[in-house]
Amino acid sequence: MKDELTRQELLRRAALGAGLLSMPGLVAACGSSGGGSAGGKKVLAKTLHFSNWTLYMDTNKKKHTFPSLDEFQRRTGVHVDYVEDVNDNASFFGKIQGQLRRGRSIGRDIIVMTDNSRYPSLLVKKRWVEKLDKSAIPNFKNLEPVQQHPAWDPNRDYSLPWQSGITGIAFNDKLTNPVLSIDDLLGNPKLKGKITLLNEMGDCLSLVMLSNGDDPAHVTDATFDRAMKKIKKAVDSGQVRQFTGNDYAPPLARGDLTAAMSWSGDIAQLGNASIHWNLPTDGGDTWTDNMLIPTGGDVYTASVYMNYVYDPTVQGQMEAGNPKKNITGIYYIPPVVGAREAALKVNPAVANNPLIFPTKHMLDNIHLFDPSALNNEKYLTAWQNLISA
Amino acid sequence: MSAVAVDAKRPPQSLFSTAWAFVKRNVLTVYSLLFFGYLLLPIGIVIAFSFNNPTGRFNYVWQGFTWNNWRYWDGVPGIRSAIFLSLEIGFIASLIATVLGTSIALALVRYGFRGRGTTNILVFLPLSTPEIVLGASLLTLFLNISFVTFGFWTILIAHVMFCISFAVVTVKARLVGFDRHLEEAAMDLGANEWATFRKVTLPLIAPAILAALLLCFAISIDDFVVTYFNAGTRVTFPLFVWGAARVGAPAQVNVMGTAIFVVALSLMLLNVLLQRRRESQVRT
Amino acid sequence: MGFFHQHRGLTPYLLLAPGLLWLGVFFLVPLGFLAYQSLQSGSIDFGYAFTWSWGNYWNAIKNYHGHFVRSFEYAGIATVVALVVSYPVAYWIAFRGGRWKNLLLLGIVAPFFVTYLIRTLAWETILADHGFVVNTLRDLHLVSANGRILATSTAVIAGITYNFLPFMALPLYVSIEQIDVRLIEAAEDLYASKLHAFLRVTLPLSLPGIVAGTLLTFIPAAGDFINAQLLGSTQNHMIGNVIQSKFLELTDYPAAASMSFVLMAAIVASVLLYARAVGTEQLTG
Repeated sequence: MKDELTRQELLRRAALGAGLLSMPGLVAACGSSGGGSAGGKKVLAKTLHFSNWTLYMDTNKKKHTFPSLDEFQRRTGVHVDYVEDVNDNASFFGKIQGQLRRGRSIGRDIIVMTDNSRYPSLLVKKRWVEKLDKSAIPNFKNLEPVQQHPAWDPNRDYSLPWQSGITGIAFNDKLTNPVLSIDDLLGNPKLKGKITLLNEMGDCLSLVMLSNGDDPAHVTDATFDRAMKKIKKAVDSGQVRQFTGNDYAPPLARGDLTAAMSWSGDIAQLGNASIHWNLPTDGGDTWTDNMLIPTGGDVYTASVYMNYVYDPTVQGQMEAGNPKKNITGIYYIPPVVGAREAALKVNPAVANNPLIFPTKHMLDNIHLFDPSALNNEKYLTAWQNLISA
Repeated sequence: MSAVAVDAKRPPQSLFSTAWAFVKRNVLTVYSLLFFGYLLLPIGIVIAFSFNNPTGRFNYVWQGFTWNNWRYWDGVPGIRSAIFLSLEIGFIASLIATVLGTSIALALVRYGFRGRGTTNILVFLPLSTPEIVLGASLLTLFLNISFVTFGFWTILIAHVMFCISFAVVTVKARLVGFDRHLEEAAMDLGANEWATFRKVTLPLIAPAILAALLLCFAISIDDFVVTYFNAGTRVTFPLFVWGAARVGAPAQVNVMGTAIFVVALSLMLLNVLLQRRRESQVRT
Repeated sequence: MGFFHQHRGLTPYLLLAPGLLWLGVFFLVPLGFLAYQSLQSGSIDFGYAFTWSWGNYWNAIKNYHGHFVRSFEYAGIATVVALVVSYPVAYWIAFRGGRWKNLLLLGIVAPFFVTYLIRTLAWETILADHGFVVNTLRDLHLVSANGRILATSTAVIAGITYNFLPFMALPLYVSIEQIDVRLIEAAEDLYASKLHAFLRVTLPLSLPGIVAGTLLTFIPAAGDFINAQLLGSTQNHMIGNVIQSKFLELTDYPAAASMSFVLMAAIVASVLLYARAVGTEQLTG
């Protein structure tokens, strides 16, 4: 009885095409606590456990709350237990793989991992993630066309993009002239010891390969070696201070770093007027962070949340934030069609920011990293040895 | 002062030697004071920056005084559950470890038994194993046992494990210097073993047991490496700091650090003062 | 021995059982599993299998001997520096502390009530490239104009030294405090200079403390990875960093396990050599 009501609500809402999930409290009232199942249950849990990267949610800086999550709770009655415990793909995977290997729940309903690491494809391959309940995600149709058929999840059965980003170069204009190319970053003696590179193989190698004139979408042993050689030279000469995940941000802010290979949104969020981010002259690479439902996660509740996020109005608000209310947005590239228009209404500066809504010129110059190279043990070991000197 | 008294015992020396002795004495003092300054410098920074009012995310440059970080100590998502988990694990682990450790210490000091040397070595081994090996081996154990869930229990087990040795060493030190005559006297007056233990032994070694408890608690709250390997997705306070440091640790981390420091310091100061009072009472 | 004699049979074993059981199951058994894992081969994708893969040990040494050497170098330097820096203070507290001894000891231990990570992060702030300390050092020409302290081996060693100071200072103090002052006075009465008295009387008598402090500092320092991660650069990574990354990020358990054992073996070997040098009675005190 209650199930039918729920489904009717969904169909009605989908038919209206508006994005408002106005589940009455009755659904929340019959919600069970987590530990859901694949398929079957159409009951909302009381809590959604969501693991994400830091700085990846709209935040009210004064009150330290997440407006979009609060709104989700208002609409559905589901409280989101939001944990920012993903610092890099490898170490997060390390934390969860013990449980997943045993087919056990990790206490999370949604996790977010990047597709230019091997982990999303590994998780799908090993079936350590649950299938999405697409019947609960009518907003699925708002997914950007270019994101609809990734090689590692061709029908988007297991994942939905959270945000995308571009890897480029950030520099501090108080400490240096603009650093706009990888060759400059790796070769300019004035920057010696004051730059960092990313420790994600996909990101770092893409940019270096592009600077070598090679195509990162098709990695061969030759192009791999060429790029590694270039990086190694910079490491050995002391040009590269460190390989970092997103922990380049503190030293960059402190002035210990002059320039850093970095992710687009981070710089937008730093809010430091002297730090600028640019796409390298030879091109940058793009990656997408994906929402996945790990084994034992509550499929239905997670899917309902994903549907909420794929509403263009909601996505636009999450993206843009609201400077008047002291809310910072996500400032990465949204995967939802219509988000830009929604953002325009709330925060035109964001809507017109090419870092967040890239121009065609930028889109033409960003590349994807070869996914098969990400699973190549030889490459991975060589990479690990390089960044661990 | 006493410099003169010392000199008086010796064959008379020149003024230079006296002056040199004076300088030498002061050098040591000055050096030691510098040493303490060096020790406390980072602590000072931690405390100072807990009152910082940073614009933006990074708490590295002093920008103004505020009480906000203390008022909204749980304003950073995750810090509250992290600190509560650390406290919880600390209490329980230190209790278990102290009980187990005290028993071992009693057995080691009071009884001769086969395998005494081996026991000593077994207790000493965890202290001399690098934490990374402790953590990694426990991880390996848990990975190979199918019914284990990484989380609260694995963290607790790990903490008790490395705290036992500390408890043993602490209590043993006190037991070794223990005066058995008091127990003998109690026995002579008709008390049986258990009553003697309860009424004479236990109260006398209570300070050591308390010290072991506090030591285990401190070690547990602070542990990072072993917990890092075995926590799964649970987050203790040190793990939280590790994650937060990647993107710029918020001032609330300093607040927590300062709070723990102040509480621990107060407890220890109290202990020292009580000990002094006890000693002066004994003297009079 | 005394009056517990009649129950000698059972009581000690009852007392020992729970604690030893815990240590056995959660310390010894895991080491066994680690050994088992170190002889496996495979990967996360296709699973691991026990294959008597002794090659893992050889690979660990071959591929990472630089890291091993570096770790022992850093730990060794840090230990020596800690010894040299703490000895005078331990001496000062023991002989000149008087009524304030306990409070002074508290002062040594107090910084360690702040979480290890937070302390180390504070050093990141203190040693920042444009911070007060490094600027001063630049002015004094102890650091080159473009130089830095962070992300160098100096910062890592300094961090390790700082973090393990009480492990050196406290055993030193305990040992020095037990020295009978009259021995020193006797030496001086026999016309030994202060320096001579120190070298011939105080120092040898404090040897147990030196040994204890050295071991308590060196052993954990060799396996540390936090200081290297937070204060160092990629070129300062210690073996602990590699083990940690192999376990948690690359999930290459066999390699990581074999590296852990090589580390332990290397530490045991160093300790044995050290024991030889100072005399084994000092260790079992």
